[in-house]
Amino acid sequence: MARFILRRLLLMLVTMFLVSVAVFAITSAAPGNVARNVLGIQITPEQEASFLAQNGLDKPIAVRYLYWLIGSDWQAGRLIGRPVRQITTADGFKEWWAVERDGTLVQWRVEGENLIIRQRLPDGKVEEKPDNGRWQIKDPASEAARLAAYRAALADDVEIAEADRQAIGRAVERILAILRTPGQDQAALLAALAGPEGELEALRDPKAAGRKQALQKAAAAVAGNDALLKAIAVYRTLTGPDAGRLQLSDQQFMAGQLSRAAAQLRERAPESATQLQRAYESLKAGDVRAAVTALEGVVPLLKKLTGNVGDLTDALQSGRYRTAAEVLRDLGDPARNPFDAEQMATLPALLQALANAVDDASPDVGRPLLQGVTALKAGKADEARKAFRQAADVLAGVGQVLARSDAAGRARVGRVFWGVDTQNHAVRWETGTGKDVWVFIQGTGWKAFAGGPVEYVPLQRGLLRGDPGVSLRTGRPVADLLFIRLRNSLVLAAAAFVIVMPLALLLGLLAGLKEGKPLDRILSIGGMMFSVTPEFATGIFLIVIFAFWLKLVPGATVFGEKAPWNRPEMLVLPVMTLTLVELGYVLRITRASVVEVMKAPYIRTAFLKGLPYRRIVIRHVLRNALMAPITVIMLHVNWLLGGIVVVEAIFGYPGLGSYLLESALFKDFNAIEAGAMVLVVVAVATQLLADLIYTLINPRIRWSTS
Amino acid sequence: MTASTQSISLAARPRWWRRIWNGLAILFASKTAVVGLIIVLFWVTAAICAPLLTPYSPTAQDYRAQNSGPSAAHILGTDDLGRDIWSRLLYGARIVLIMLPVGEHVWLPLGTAIWGVLLGLLVGCTLGLVAGYLGGWIDEVVMRVLDAMMAFPVILLYMIIIAAVGASATNVVLAIAIVGTPGIARLVRGLTLDIRTRDYIRAAEIRGERKLYIMFVEILPNARGPIVIDAMLRVGYAIFAMGTLGFLGLGLPPPSPDWGSMVASGRRYILAGSPWAALWPSLAIASLVVGLNLLADGLREESMRYQ
Repeated sequence: MARFILRRLLLMLVTMFLVSVAVFAITSAAPGNVARNVLGIQITPEQEASFLAQNGLDKPIAVRYLYWLIGSDWQAGRLIGRPVRQITTADGFKEWWAVERDGTLVQWRVEGENLIIRQRLPDGKVEEKPDNGRWQIKDPASEAARLAAYRAALADDVEIAEADRQAIGRAVERILAILRTPGQDQAALLAALAGPEGELEALRDPKAAGRKQALQKAAAAVAGNDALLKAIAVYRTLTGPDAGRLQLSDQQFMAGQLSRAAAQLRERAPESATQLQRAYESLKAGDVRAAVTALEGVVPLLKKLTGNVGDLTDALQSGRYRTAAEVLRDLGDPARNPFDAEQMATLPALLQALANAVDDASPDVGRPLLQGVTALKAGKADEARKAFRQAADVLAGVGQVLARSDAAGRARVGRVFWGVDTQNHAVRWETGTGKDVWVFIQGTGWKAFAGGPVEYVPLQRGLLRGDPGVSLRTGRPVADLLFIRLRNSLVLAAAAFVIVMPLALLLGLLAGLKEGKPLDRILSIGGMMFSVTPEFATGIFLIVIFAFWLKLVPGATVFGEKAPWNRPEMLVLPVMTLTLVELGYVLRITRASVVEVMKAPYIRTAFLKGLPYRRIVIRHVLRNALMAPITVIMLHVNWLLGGIVVVEAIFGYPGLGSYLLESALFKDFNAIEAGAMVLVVVAVATQLLADLIYTLINPRIRWSTS
Repeated sequence: MTASTQSISLAARPRWWRRIWNGLAILFASKTAVVGLIIVLFWVTAAICAPLLTPYSPTAQDYRAQNSGPSAAHILGTDDLGRDIWSRLLYGARIVLIMLPVGEHVWLPLGTAIWGVLLGLLVGCTLGLVAGYLGGWIDEVVMRVLDAMMAFPVILLYMIIIAAVGASATNVVLAIAIVGTPGIARLVRGLTLDIRTRDYIRAAEIRGERKLYIMFVEILPNARGPIVIDAMLRVGYAIFAMGTLGFLGLGLPPPSPDWGSMVASGRRYILAGSPWAALWPSLAIASLVVGLNLLADGLREESMRYQ
């Protein structure tokens, strides 16, 4: 017996391993990616890359599997040069810290280009101080190659003034000469670099990074709040190179944006509104081509109505200040923007929003913009045009400063440092590239970092050490939600089981005893019909009958924070659906088994012996006939799990099935893996249980094995 | 008409004719099978004659009649985008039963569900024959892999396959085939183990026939009875699976008239007062699956009695 159980457990482990590998391989090979699912389709490629990197999804699949299985802390410890440790804070959060040689726990963060160390004191408080001494110069050879390429690219950068370009070029030359001198150690390099890097520093505006970010944010806010701009963006997405990657949920989302734009235009431009509405309906129905055709007719008008502000916000977000200034200049050009009745219906409000946002980010550009908008609203078009042209000039100037600062930053030699950040990653920070890195911090949103994290190893303990990782969808540990969902599903399954088993065995026994009689025909055909009807169809019938027509019970489940057993009325229909589907199956098995036993010689003997019918049924038939159903039912669990997924989807029941479905649709790796592991354990455990029960109730096997 | 008189009276007729006649006789002897056949034929006819039975296109939207109940203009009502439900049901039946959309304008005959089963049969029969006839380590390896596949929760397998390869008719076919293969392979292996001990197999071996010949020409035709009945049940199951996938949002991409997706999108409007868009496709799929099962059940019972 012990050997048998051991073999089963071994089989379970092998299955779990195979399943986990298969799930990993299949989900990684799949098109579409989790970043777009979590953050929406309108993220930029840099943001997508950042999200993937932060979650370790940019690593080779074998490495990711290894981290998932046995954890990544050992690898992180090797990279950082000190061990890392997971602690639980007083609030119950799990945090990762690096351990210094004297035992203190430390993390780092980078502000601008300053490395700051955070030391955790014994009382849980954190002390921060600068820690720039730890930066290491990046590999001189590769840095030299990068800078040489950068110097060449600089010549084409139209955003920077000529004089600045030359100054930066000269500094790069000197740095290249230093880097190419062989045989220098870190200290010597640092000393030699102080000269040219000081010159570059002089070209940098300490506030430039902040202003650039502020402008980007302002532009994003304007673009994100205006329905018409969003409609234009939808058109661009649908016709853009990524159109093939769009998923159904993306299309639904974009359809919603079109509908909002249509609503806004309904009064001012009814024809365009109808066209937009048509695009919305087509997109909602999944007909992309029809939507694009419908949009093609409207987009020129939308561009006119928005005074091309969409191009301006795009340019500001990607740092193309000359293009942005060009749009402002066009606003001052009567040939391009006549400020006629059509434009005046939408433009002033949009420009007001733009001016407000820009004014917060960069007052010198914002002031003339605000003046222009005020004049425009007062009907003084010429005055407004003048103000817009002025704003364009200022913006072009600001753009030059920002671009110069950016370029000077990029011309520095990179520094690098491996440490633990505050979001549970081991991180390789690099400075001196001058490049901002957009980082999505769950719960906070996007943030740009100048000293950019360029490589992450998400810290986790690995499944074998009891840590299924973090859900990409929620940013919280998978284990938090998984067990609540599992509990809910078990409640559902248990309730159905308790009802189905006695009922089905009883009805199956009745049908089997009356084989061929009308009762048997009704029960077996009825049972068959319920068992082969898909769960979702049965569920819909029940909802229509009991929730819609009779209004007896709720047709959907909403638990909020409550546990299912606190709202039993919501369990009625889900349990009923499962019951009907399972009832037929178990009934048919039981019936078949009873029919077979009734034909057995020992039953005939019992009859011939003159035993009363009831006694024969209870003592001889029942026990022998129940063996088959019990094992078959247990083996059926695999099938039942599928039923539960569907039932949970029909009723919006927050169980493991709907969790898995959502995770699969999101490609939320860790959640799918954890859910799959639970399912395999459940499936194998019930099979084991079935075998044990079978052994217990079947004396033939019991005696032969012991 | 009893079986014995039948076979005597038909002895002189051509063989294929007798075989069909025998099959039909079995079928019509069972009331269950006849009822099943009527339901299935109803849907097959509806699918073939779809353009004759409805004036509407399955994707034409009527903005003025959204979520309307049954009326003279729309027999079964309309869905949330104002599309005629009856027309969508008919064209949905086409996808299930008589044509498989593989490309934008390319269609294959036979429906999605049937292709899924055929593909599963092809792979499953081959694996089962190879494992059963050759035995040894090949049998061991094939059966262990299939065991692992069977321990894998079916629904998870579906979700992962579709999530991985994307939702389209061909991928649904693939998913149905992959999920069905282990069961078919086991069945065929069991039959092969039995048949390979027969004398005519030994005779073929002594004649020096190639293994491939023995497997596919000697064994397979002799195992066809149970395989055919199993396949019929599997078509019902494949339709079930198609519906479930569609319902979970993993089926054919919109605006295809996929029954499962129709239920999923109609479901939201039941409690808002218009149950039709979810109710009719549910009924359609339930009736078709029940019909196929009645047919297969009746045939199996009757053929067992016949033997």
